[in-house]
Amino acid sequence: MIRVTALSKRFGRKPALDDVSVELPQGALWGLIGPGASGKTVLIKHVAGLLTPDRGKVEIEGQNISAMGEVSRQRLRSRFGMLFQQNALFDSLTVAENVAFPLRRLTSLGEREIGERVDERLARVGLTDFRDRYPNALSGGQRKRVGIARATVTRSEYVIFDEPTAGLDPVTSQKIFDLLHAEQRAMKSTALMISSDVAGLMTVVDRVGMMLRGKLVFEGTREEALASRDPYVRQFLRGDTEGPL
Amino acid sequence: MAAGARAASGEGARREPGRVHRFVEGLGTSAVDGARAARLFYSILIRTLYYSVRGRREKGAVLRAMYQIGNRSLFFITVVMGFIGMIMVYHSCTQVNRITGDLHLVGATFLQIVVRDFAASIGATMIATRVGAGIAAEIGSMVVTDQVDALRMCAAEPIDYLIVPRFKASVVMTTVLIVWSMAVMTVIGMLTAWGMFDVNPRIFWNTSMVDYRDLTMGLTKCLAFGAAIPIVSGYCGLTTFGGAEGVGWATTRAVVWSIFATILLNFVISTVGFYVFWA
Amino acid sequence: MRRVGRGIVSVSQQAGGILVLLAKILRRFFPPDIDYFEFKRNLHKMGNKSLFIVGLTAVFVGAIMVVQASVYVQQFSAYAFVGWGAGFVILRELGPILIALMFSGRVGANNTAELGTMVVTEQIDGLRALSIDPISYLIVPRFLSMILMLFALTVYGNIIALFGAAAFGQVMLGIEIRVFFSGVTTMLGPWDLWIGLIKSLAFGLIIALSSCYYGLAVRGGAPGVGRAVNSSVVASAVGIFVADYFLTFLVD
Repeated sequence: MIRVTALSKRFGRKPALDDVSVELPQGALWGLIGPGASGKTVLIKHVAGLLTPDRGKVEIEGQNISAMGEVSRQRLRSRFGMLFQQNALFDSLTVAENVAFPLRRLTSLGEREIGERVDERLARVGLTDFRDRYPNALSGGQRKRVGIARATVTRSEYVIFDEPTAGLDPVTSQKIFDLLHAEQRAMKSTALMISSDVAGLMTVVDRVGMMLRGKLVFEGTREEALASRDPYVRQFLRGDTEGPL
Repeated sequence: MAAGARAASGEGARREPGRVHRFVEGLGTSAVDGARAARLFYSILIRTLYYSVRGRREKGAVLRAMYQIGNRSLFFITVVMGFIGMIMVYHSCTQVNRITGDLHLVGATFLQIVVRDFAASIGATMIATRVGAGIAAEIGSMVVTDQVDALRMCAAEPIDYLIVPRFKASVVMTTVLIVWSMAVMTVIGMLTAWGMFDVNPRIFWNTSMVDYRDLTMGLTKCLAFGAAIPIVSGYCGLTTFGGAEGVGWATTRAVVWSIFATILLNFVISTVGFYVFWA
Repeated sequence: MRRVGRGIVSVSQQAGGILVLLAKILRRFFPPDIDYFEFKRNLHKMGNKSLFIVGLTAVFVGAIMVVQASVYVQQFSAYAFVGWGAGFVILRELGPILIALMFSGRVGANNTAELGTMVVTEQIDGLRALSIDPISYLIVPRFLSMILMLFALTVYGNIIALFGAAAFGQVMLGIEIRVFFSGVTTMLGPWDLWIGLIKSLAFGLIIALSSCYYGLAVRGGAPGVGRAVNSSVVASAVGIFVADYFLTFLVD
């Protein structure tokens, strides 16, 4: 279980997170929505222990990752798979090497097994023919899919996806959502997913949170979100131009 | 002062903070920033040394970094050091001609100062410009595209994975490049003395003044500069913020502070060396 | 072979581009068409940016010259010559060169990054759309203020370096500061000072041209800006050393 308590973070004078508290139950798929620059990415970077909060804490199964040193954080992080907003593929490595990288660093698998797993992942995201290309020779959507393959290759207990469908066409987007959903169910992992494709995201999530200007303004199950009377949530879910946003 | 005193006594209450006040505040902020930067730099330095011994070896990473450093700077260094060798011999010969006119010892003195200091200090300036900028740009663009965070997610400590290979490669390659530039300077200097001042190369090539002290000093400087450049530039790269433009600032800082680091180290090493060997 | 050929072509292309830029800039002086507000703003900014680092560098350069000289000074007890030796090297060679290198790393690189960012965010086209000439509005003020500022900084750096050398000579070798400066003034002529300052003008020209050229020539979005900064600093450094070589022979 991931528990976030009273988390606050400033960059310079600008508050990025303001007193955010939330609990994510084990095995749930949690969607995080909100307008741009509302602190979604900052929140998940805290969950992964990539940032240290000014106040508050993040606990992973009762262990406070925010108070740990880099070495113990690394041990906890190795149980995470993460897709970054800009994919963060390593420019100097090929597609296959990028996907193999977490396996090489985090597991003791042999070369043959690593190769098999990489091929399986690339087939799943439809990039088998691109395995020896370099990231800068790929389109935006292809890079996103490589990022997804890299985030899921270790079959982690916790997975974080920052905009898994940005730059993809609607059909591929839905396929990706369904794929991630099916795998999350099969692995019984806990997933955290940010997406601007609210309609697609709502088809797969168990619970939803909404952020606005660094605050978590709503958190609840999918049904609660869809039935919410909160003006912000209603407007955001429907995509209305009229409203408080 | 007057503005500050007035602000302190509460007269003209709660207007803009006075000039002195703002100055002191600015001074305080930059002191705090400076202290924080120094602490971060120190921690990167220590961790680089630690991981150089205890870190995880990545196959071929050091060799790749060595190739890059050499490839980037060999041509550049050869051209510039050639020019420097020429200028140095030209100046020493004209000055000696003005005073004594005895060009016998020009070669010997030239060799000594090249080995003891000039090859290392000027060569390191070049390497800092070229290699330092390259390292900061590479690491900086990895920071702004989240690749460094992606490394941390895979238990690849950025210092161990990114700086340490470049650190090892730079210590070796800086030494190699500086020894190479000693050779270039000597040959070009010899030709200059021969062509312009009629000093026979056999007289110019006089190593009697170069002894173990000069060699020790030269080598110490190579190692120190080679170690300082990747750490300073790596620090500038890792502290990049603000998108692609931030990478530009990081390279700038890397060049300036790497050059400054070599000047500072040169000063320290030369002074200590003087008291140990010559005083 | 082909790589060498391509290298030669690209180097001559860049040299040509720089000359064209120089011609364009010079045309703006007949009749003078300069944005004086931009000029003053740039002077101020560039001076502010480099005053500290140039001063710091100069102190240590002066001190290093004394340390290097001290080996010979002790050997031949040539205490009177320290002022001359340090002064000669600082004023003629090391002062102008190192200050120019620092200036190119700080101000030149900054200028390239700024212009490059303006190119990739289409601000230059924006100026043209407002029928403002980017050369006379952006480039000429920067060009002029870089040359002037480097000249001023060299004067300032030379003074600091000499004082650094004198102070360190006193501490390390016990040479009276008065003796040091009498070495500087009696054994060096004004010519030694002027050569260094003429060089600094040439270095300023080189830094200004290359930093503006590479800034305006940025292609390929934001990563291109980083590459341009790198090329500009390297081109300036090569230019400085080559110009130093030719000037050394030319002025004697």
